[in-house]
Amino acid sequence: MADPIRVLIVDDEERFRETLAKLLGRHGFVVREAGSGPAALELLGQAPCDVIVLDVKMPGMTGADALPLLRAACPEAEVLVLTGHASVDIASTMIAGGAADYLLKPCPTEELEGAIRAVYDRRQATRPR
Amino acid sequence: MNPEPTPDAPGPLPGDHAPPLWPHTLLAPGLAGAAVLSALAAPPLVGVGLALFAGAICIGSALTLARRVRRGERELHELDVRLLHSQKLAAIGELSSGIAHEINNPLAIITQEIDLARELFGQDACPAPEDLADIKDCLDQVGKQVARCCQITHKLLNFARKMEPVLQEEALEQVIEDMAVLVEREAAGRGVAIRRDYDQSLPPVRTDVPLLRQVILNLLTNAMHATPEGGTITLATCRQNGRAVIEVRDTGCGIPPENLPKVFDPFFTTKEPGKGTGLGLSLSHGIVARLGGNLTAQSAVGKGSVFTVSLPL
Ligand SMILES: Nc1ncnc2c1ncn2[C@@H]1O[C@H](COP(=O)(O)OP(=O)(O)OP(=O)(O)O)[C@@H](O)[C@H]1O
Ligand SMILES: [Mg+2]
Repeated sequence: MADPIRVLIVDDEERFRETLAKLLGRHGFVVREAGSGPAALELLGQAPCDVIVLDVKMPGMTGADALPLLRAACPEAEVLVLTGHASVDIASTMIAGGAADYLLKPCPTEELEGAIRAVYDRRQATRPR
Repeated sequence: MNPEPTPDAPGPLPGDHAPPLWPHTLLAPGLAGAAVLSALAAPPLVGVGLALFAGAICIGSALTLARRVRRGERELHELDVRLLHSQKLAAIGELSSGIAHEINNPLAIITQEIDLARELFGQDACPAPEDLADIKDCLDQVGKQVARCCQITHKLLNFARKMEPVLQEEALEQVIEDMAVLVEREAAGRGVAIRRDYDQSLPPVRTDVPLLRQVILNLLTNAMHATPEGGTITLATCRQNGRAVIEVRDTGCGIPPENLPKVFDPFFTTKEPGKGTGLGLSLSHGIVARLGGNLTAQSAVGKGSVFTVSLPL
């Protein structure tokens, strides 16, 4: 069996994180969650992950500020931006900053899971270990 | 009827190819002057002709100048309309992105709760007994998030209400006290004291009382949320430069200088998701402006904040 995909959810909406973690956990992912950029950095310091699901609008450090730091802390992880912020500008800034994909909230769990698997597979294809 | 300038499609402004001004400022007066001078020396009949000529030049020149002034005014007005239009577009853009974000977040939670509940229900729509509590929790959460959306849309509707303020005479102190008693109990529970410092000589104000109450309540709630146990909120009134002034002071956390310019922006909040909509102050600011006054904020981090409403007397 393939290794489970390790996901880190970074979002300031507590309930959103919790339920997403529950759902992904039930579907075979290994999930950790952080409520802010700094908390995510701390978790990445403990162990790497495969895919980071990153919110944009968070108090303190925004997703855009956190993106380069997260990528530096865990270069092998792909970043999937998931936000309620409907702005093309932000999407393109995040993609230019190295995010792998951009999804808009609300997003059906199936679609989100598909996107996580897709960026993970793409990474496996381009960076074979 | 005068057709309204269509604000959504103002045509291109005429380019800057105005004819030169010197024929009117130099040539016409010069010619008129020369004609008058020659008229003085010429025989009467020729003199009258020259005077008429000078007059004609002056009238023609004045007409042209008047036409150009009027056209300038029209262009200026068009520019104003354009500017307003682009400002409106920018405001709508900012507001809709704020609304989208604030509504999309609860919707995202609802979406997930439904997905989870469906999954717990199982293929045969017969959930395992141990999952029932989780399913109920999902439903409760959906209810909470719907309430959160309602709070936002209802507050936004307050912006949309175009109602004209209904003015009535009322003692400012009374309006403030009505709201102070509302929050006093919660404040006491949090260990925050509410002090009064009213100027008894202040005459009654003519204002829209329900609207002003809303403003005071917003300011009081904010102050209470910002003030830790043992702190004080002071409600004060005074007269300043012929205006009635209300101050809501707190000894709370204060507002960092980089946030101070943003506190009146719609959706600006430092509260946790779901706790604050970030609409309180922007609504209050709008209301006070409609009442002919203004609302300002001063703050020092760690010391506290002062929100000042000044109203016409
Ligand atoms: N008295 C205060 N002391 C410190 N910060 C304040 C104070 N009043 C307002 N603020 C800051 O301004 C922000 C915006 O206030 P506003 O009332 O507009 O929204 P809110 O209180 O966050 O949410 P709500 O829509 O529920 O009122 C607050 O989140 C807070 O950061
Ligand atoms: Mg408020």
